Amino acid sequence: MNRAAIPGPPELLTTRSLVVCVGSGGVGKTSVAATMALWAAQQGRRVMVLTIDPARRLGNALGLKKFGNEETRIDLEGLGLDPVEGGELWALMLDTRSAFDNLIRRMAPDKDTAERILANSIYRVMSSTFAGTQEYMAGEMLHDLALSERFDLIVLDTPPVKNALDFLEASSRLTRFFDPGIIKWFLTPYDERKVFGRLVAGTSAVVFRLLGFVFGRDFLEGLSEFLLLFTEMVDGFRERHEEVMGLLSSRESAFVTVCAPSVPSLEVADFFARELRARKLPRGGTVINQVHRCEDVSMEPDTLLADVLSEQVQGLPTGTQVRLMARLGSAHGRLREVVRRERQLIDDLAAKLDAAGGFLVELPRLEGEVHDLQALVALGEHLFEED
Amino acid sequence: MNVVDLVYGKLVLVTGKGGVGKTTVAAAIAQLAAAQGRKTLLAEFDNQHPSTTAIYGQAPEYEARSVAPDLSISNLDWINALAEWVERVVGIRRIVRMILQNRMVQRFLDATPGSREVVLLSKLVWLCDEYDLVVVDLPASGHAVSVLQIPWMVMRLFATGPIHQRGQEAMALLGDPGTSLVMVSLPEEMVVNETLETWEKLREQAPNLRIPLVVLNQSARPTLDEGEKLLLERLSDAVDAEHPGVDLLRAGRWEAVLEESTAQALERLSAGLDGVRLLEVPRLSREHGPGRLVRQVSAALARSSWADA
Repeated sequence: MNRAAIPGPPELLTTRSLVVCVGSGGVGKTSVAATMALWAAQQGRRVMVLTIDPARRLGNALGLKKFGNEETRIDLEGLGLDPVEGGELWALMLDTRSAFDNLIRRMAPDKDTAERILANSIYRVMSSTFAGTQEYMAGEMLHDLALSERFDLIVLDTPPVKNALDFLEASSRLTRFFDPGIIKWFLTPYDERKVFGRLVAGTSAVVFRLLGFVFGRDFLEGLSEFLLLFTEMVDGFRERHEEVMGLLSSRESAFVTVCAPSVPSLEVADFFARELRARKLPRGGTVINQVHRCEDVSMEPDTLLADVLSEQVQGLPTGTQVRLMARLGSAHGRLREVVRRERQLIDDLAAKLDAAGGFLVELPRLEGEVHDLQALVALGEHLFEED
Repeated sequence: MNVVDLVYGKLVLVTGKGGVGKTTVAAAIAQLAAAQGRKTLLAEFDNQHPSTTAIYGQAPEYEARSVAPDLSISNLDWINALAEWVERVVGIRRIVRMILQNRMVQRFLDATPGSREVVLLSKLVWLCDEYDLVVVDLPASGHAVSVLQIPWMVMRLFATGPIHQRGQEAMALLGDPGTSLVMVSLPEEMVVNETLETWEKLREQAPNLRIPLVVLNQSARPTLDEGEKLLLERLSDAVDAEHPGVDLLRAGRWEAVLEESTAQALERLSAGLDGVRLLEVPRLSREHGPGRLVRQVSAALARSSWADA
């Protein structure tokens, strides 16, 4: 397959205004997002990396506060970097619950409505359980950041989910909740105060009564109150959601799938590639992170290292050399096994991805963990090297 | 508490950061239980891509299917669980269909926060009556915490009614002495961080849930002595990137780092987790496929339990 014409990470990060990193958890997605943001900032762009619950040390490395949805500017010069004139790196960590509460306060028609929503049982379940809410709020935050026009590029690190699709699915699910049809259907009986009293005509009413029987009055009443309070805000929510979806699917955006060379992670990557295509979302490419590297060796360890061994072994207990050489031999065998397995998996994935799916880049597993700026710079060198 | 005590309980929930080997450990525990003659179900929790498929060569469905003596697998998807919930309340299939096929109901339930979790936890309550032991491969830790706190939340928010009752049943199950949560971790700093954070969160948000075991997967017990480490370091400094021995030394450092990370993980986990037993599963070759790997992890868990006991 000819990948020569496919824009690589450097081109995407200098021309697009939104890069969305998706993928399963535990593959270094946040590190890759931060690496891309840092690189683009060094090229002179004003960049915001929007992340959700990064591992603490990476957050510290970027100077992020743990909570509070505060935009933090990262002092690149102070960290010994020399960005092109105008380059800025900003980071924001999403705290779902307080972001949602703030959004309600801002969008509610009056203070009383806001307080009643914040106290509503359904709202509290919704805002404190992650499923869907985090994704939705990430979209909300994205909306505000994009509108502000203070950034040339936003890099969005999506929440780590088992099924990559949840990022798109969950946020639409939440918006469907505000569907005018559903709301009307629910609120009609509530308004008329006939829910648990007289039978309201029509199938809907029967079904509604049955739902009350199955799920209980408390639940349905809480829900009805919630929807009633939300009626005035619904249009605003839907509009914003549509704008976010418009932003995500525009040619200004690119989705980058981040995965690791393991069976479950590559399956998710393959699945996501197909979903992005089906949904006609702009595909930037795939980053396979944490790839082990190790070449074959043809000779015995002590022969290979003969030129340096005699000097380096001085002063060490007898037997050290023999034991270490045996160990290096077996360690090399094990690492080669890992490398071969990963190679096979990556080749299988590459064969499945089509050219329209964008670039395919491998990043090596760095020695040491990626949680400081130096490691991000090193990762960036691999991501943006010309070959 | 060791693995053998676990398999004589009634519910084992397994979670951990994505990619740590949750499914393998869950399957290993289930197979140990089945080997003891316990009628066991290995269940996935609303997983669109069931991870157990690779192990047993067939995708688990909602209806449990037997894959070995005393061992069945299933994938608890919430649509089927919801149908079962409604059917148990209403009792008449035709009405169940009428409710669930209503477009509005479908959209509303799909969107209503918490409804999936409550419905699935109820299904677990019923399954625990049916089997001697149910082992659940939960979602990754962040999502698992929100699933496990749902019963406490709905109990607080809905004072009466079926949701309250279901919440109460789920809470009783989670707090049952026969229920345990097992966390799977890896000897990597970020994974250990998440294990410690999840443990803290669960102690706050699901206080009745017992967390007796943490499994440290892919553990590499230190075997290099100080002299060997020093020589490895000196050799690494002495050769440049073009030296023919560079990949050999890379492999040596790779294993040295794994050993070092294992020692640190064990130290941090035992210092940070109060009253939790740590079990190690060594690094195992994956070359012989997932089925073989699960058997090896089973054996390692059993050995590690006996060695500690």
